[in-house]
Amino acid sequence: MNENDILMQIKELSVTYETRLGPVSAVDRISFDIYKGEILGLVGESGCGKSTMGKALMRMIQPPGYISNGQLIFEGEDIMTYDEKQMRDFRGRKVSMIFQDPMTSLNPVQRVDQHIVEAIQMHEPKTKVEQALERAKILLQKLGIMENRMTSYPHQLSGGMRQRVMVGLGLVLNANLIIADEATTSLDVIVEAKLADQLKEIRDEFGVSLLVITHNIALVAELADRVAVMYAGHIVELGSVEAIFDNPMHPYTIGLLHSVPTIKLNEREELYKMGGEPPNLTHPPSGCRFHPRCPKAMPICTTHEPDFLMAEPDRFVKCWLYQDHPEKESQSTEVSK
Amino acid sequence: MEPEKNSSKTEKVPDWMLDLDRVGFVRRLFIARKWYGGDWWFVAISGLLLIFIILVGIFPQWFAPYDPRAEVGPSLLEPGKAPSEYVLVSQVERGEITLVDIADKTNNIGFIVGSPASQALREVLIELNDNAPEGVRYQPRQRRYDTLEESLAALDNGEIDGFVVDPDVLEDSLDVYPNLQVAGTLREEGSKGFFMGTNQIGQDVFSRIIWGTRIALIVGISSALVSFIVGVPLGLFSGFIGGPLDRVLTLLMDSLYSFPGLILAISIAAVLGPGIGNIIVSIAVLYVPTYFRIVRGQTLQVKEELYVEAARSLGTTWFTILRKYIFPNVIPSVVIIFSVNVGDAILTEAGLSFLGFGLPPDTPDWGIDLARGQDYLRRAWWLITYPGLMVSMVTLAFSMLGESLSEILNPRLTER
Amino acid sequence: MSATKENKSSEYLVEVKDMKKWFPVQKNFIDQVFARELEYVHAVDGVSFKIRKGEVLGLAGESGSGKTTIGRVTIGLEPKTSGDVYFDGIDLSTLSREELRKLRRRMQVIFQDPLASLNPRMSLGESIMQGLKIHYPETAPQHRDIAIETMEKVGLSPARFYFNKYPHQISGGQRQRVVIARALITKPDLVLADEPIAMADVSVRALLLDLMVQLKEEYNLTYLFITHDLATAKYICDNIAVLYLGKIAEIGNLRDVYSAPLHPYTQALMAAVPVPNPHDRRTTPMPEGEIPNPIHPPSGCRFHPRCPFAKPDCSKVEPELREIMPNHFVACHYAEDFK
Repeated sequence: MNENDILMQIKELSVTYETRLGPVSAVDRISFDIYKGEILGLVGESGCGKSTMGKALMRMIQPPGYISNGQLIFEGEDIMTYDEKQMRDFRGRKVSMIFQDPMTSLNPVQRVDQHIVEAIQMHEPKTKVEQALERAKILLQKLGIMENRMTSYPHQLSGGMRQRVMVGLGLVLNANLIIADEATTSLDVIVEAKLADQLKEIRDEFGVSLLVITHNIALVAELADRVAVMYAGHIVELGSVEAIFDNPMHPYTIGLLHSVPTIKLNEREELYKMGGEPPNLTHPPSGCRFHPRCPKAMPICTTHEPDFLMAEPDRFVKCWLYQDHPEKESQSTEVSK
Repeated sequence: MEPEKNSSKTEKVPDWMLDLDRVGFVRRLFIARKWYGGDWWFVAISGLLLIFIILVGIFPQWFAPYDPRAEVGPSLLEPGKAPSEYVLVSQVERGEITLVDIADKTNNIGFIVGSPASQALREVLIELNDNAPEGVRYQPRQRRYDTLEESLAALDNGEIDGFVVDPDVLEDSLDVYPNLQVAGTLREEGSKGFFMGTNQIGQDVFSRIIWGTRIALIVGISSALVSFIVGVPLGLFSGFIGGPLDRVLTLLMDSLYSFPGLILAISIAAVLGPGIGNIIVSIAVLYVPTYFRIVRGQTLQVKEELYVEAARSLGTTWFTILRKYIFPNVIPSVVIIFSVNVGDAILTEAGLSFLGFGLPPDTPDWGIDLARGQDYLRRAWWLITYPGLMVSMVTLAFSMLGESLSEILNPRLTER
Repeated sequence: MSATKENKSSEYLVEVKDMKKWFPVQKNFIDQVFARELEYVHAVDGVSFKIRKGEVLGLAGESGSGKTTIGRVTIGLEPKTSGDVYFDGIDLSTLSREELRKLRRRMQVIFQDPLASLNPRMSLGESIMQGLKIHYPETAPQHRDIAIETMEKVGLSPARFYFNKYPHQISGGQRQRVVIARALITKPDLVLADEPIAMADVSVRALLLDLMVQLKEEYNLTYLFITHDLATAKYICDNIAVLYLGKIAEIGNLRDVYSAPLHPYTQALMAAVPVPNPHDRRTTPMPEGEIPNPIHPPSGCRFHPRCPFAKPDCSKVEPELREIMPNHFVACHYAEDFK
């Protein structure tokens, strides 16, 4: 992967929320890249900051939250420097989002085709209505919504179809990146599988990049090219999906993968039980945020936070097991005495 | 890579949770200030104000300088203005004297006929006699004169020992009489003054206001309590049981609710007759539909919650469900209504007594004062301004407390 | 319990025969005036199964399958429309309201959403003790100790600390433990678990599942385990019933069903479940269409419009549940072809 293949660079992104108990850093100095035409899975449990991350990429964080630090470089430009007008153009046209509950993200008094037409006209005002409708029709058909359903209202469609409308809204303006935030969580298994197939198809056909944010580890194994694992506001591991699943490096990843059930008989007949709970982010643990639950914690883990470093080609880990630090040496020599 | 075998250990209580308990109530109160901003200040200010008002209502005698029914001053005295200090005029050669020196029955004291000074003289004599030791009696002979000149002339000749007059009336008249002097004020010490003025009968407005607080609070809080006690259970049962009972009650309550408040209260008060108890009832009826509606609505909602179903699946009896599951979850919204209710009840009570219903006419009550002060709007503005201000202020304080409390209490706080 | 109300004590704790539950469709005023007949949602349309004491039966299905409704009718939370439901030989429909209420002690529920199923105004200890207060009021002095003991057993330690807490002060995983403690404190025979771990965090689910299995052994419980996740079912269910649109498509020993699914719907459902292994990605296509409207289920076999193997008679005759292999029942005319 070289420079030209990078669609978006996220550098030292931090998102802070002001709460009753103090400031919470939901996302803490995260850096990674999104490549063109890839499906990147962002997995983590609730409260790890993955949804916040998704919203931050479109600068859609609402008060009491705000982006406290970082650069978001999309196709060479830092969108953090964009003004409101530029952001409006950016959202929808360059990056679009699919949400968990399509019922509340679609306008209940607008027909499905009108949704698409409205999106087109908002960003390309000169388009005539007939042209926009034609584009909408072709696109929706591609997504599996037949012509006779195009004039339906959102409540007349099933959950899966509504999600496809959302995907359509994302595609109609030829967005380069679609962010799917728990897009399949509320769907039945078969519908989820079909939507996953669809996402793969549109990536193959249109070359869009997909950021799939989910807590469903198995889904990510089915769908993603690369996987980023988040914990307590940090990305703790990033790599190709095969590498992560075959050879997880971070203890959290290891524990997480072994606690995921599989329907396959004679595979993983027992689930690994991780102790503890995700931390409260107003008082995160010192040093590495995972250390209270980590079976491999070392003294340095309690005092210093590890960096997010490349441990192997195209593999990043944020863990002292794979990094050196002067104190690490001295501590272990002390212990061995 | 296989994970290490994690022996299942009991979960350690995270430190931050223990800390949260130790953070005391007072500190949490102050942390809340930052979070709720304006609402916190509203609650704090109105809360303090109301505590003060309630204190005044319970112990009016600490705050009121006078008995509200006593006619302690001249009528229609402007606020802040001290009542005229009537003076005693006497002959120079008598030296420094006070009224006591010439109040014996062998003395004569003169005044202009019908002047307020004569009234003051009588009052002072009564006071002196009340406080006099055994056997001593002050009863000078009183001489009336038609004009100032006559009385001064009489004093000059020695016909009278002293002359009581309003100093403004006296002005420079003494210049002509080198033999006469102002011996001193009629009273030894000044009177307490009337900070808000007096009404047409001479009662101190301020004292009446203070004592009126008590009535207002009694009526306001009692009627709110009665409404609460009647309306809440009705709403609970109606919402919980449903069916025809619910429909009938709702119809009844809606019709009551649709009456304009004051008119309904008047009709009921007219039927019931005078008396503070009847006033409380009339106002209470007004508010029952409000409690009913709110409680019924909340009950209908809470009834569908999963924890109520969970209670049912445990085998809980319907009565226990109402008591432990529905009631506690419905009450928060009602508490807010209560405080607004009290404010509104006070207002209604003032209106009722303004129109002459319920309370005996001399009761120190804001509404009554407002009614009596109407005719003096231009001459004595303070007669209605102060009672009116009190009604508004107390109503406002209660409403402010209620509204801002509802902002704070209702979105239930989550710890994340 | 009078003898006339009991069947002969059977080896099965739960017996359900041809259960049907239909909900009338809410109609607006105009439809009510003009419509000739009422329409029903056929949530459960003829379901039969048996559960032995100590077994775990999984009810698996997608939305509209009726799995939740079956659970609620079995436990007696909803009245059935027709059919028979027996608990420990007792026909639930013969019980008075009060008798059913008392029977609750033996049938408890673990709900899906722990936060919603706990009274926000009741402390955790109070909530947990409710079962004892209702069914064993005479032992009131011991209630607190029993509750503390139960809390320790489900992993809420130190129990004295959690006893006075409120639901919003603890995490989701802990809340579910409270719900489990509340359900188990009366030592029930049957526990209806309605998607009990669906709302917990991924890393906590394994702990909760393990807890439920342990408690089953210790208290000799029988579970009716409702889930939409076939992967989870593998770790706790002995038998599994796959439901589609209010009827059982396939039911049998879980290992048998998973190793050889004989109903096309089961096959599709199992293929659809994502596997956490990137080298084992799904290649089979998914069935066309979507779950039909339960008010007007398709004729004959309900799955026929979407079934890749449908034959002409599938749309005409509804297949019966037949025992194709030992303890493995399938409702499909051509199930043998898949053996």
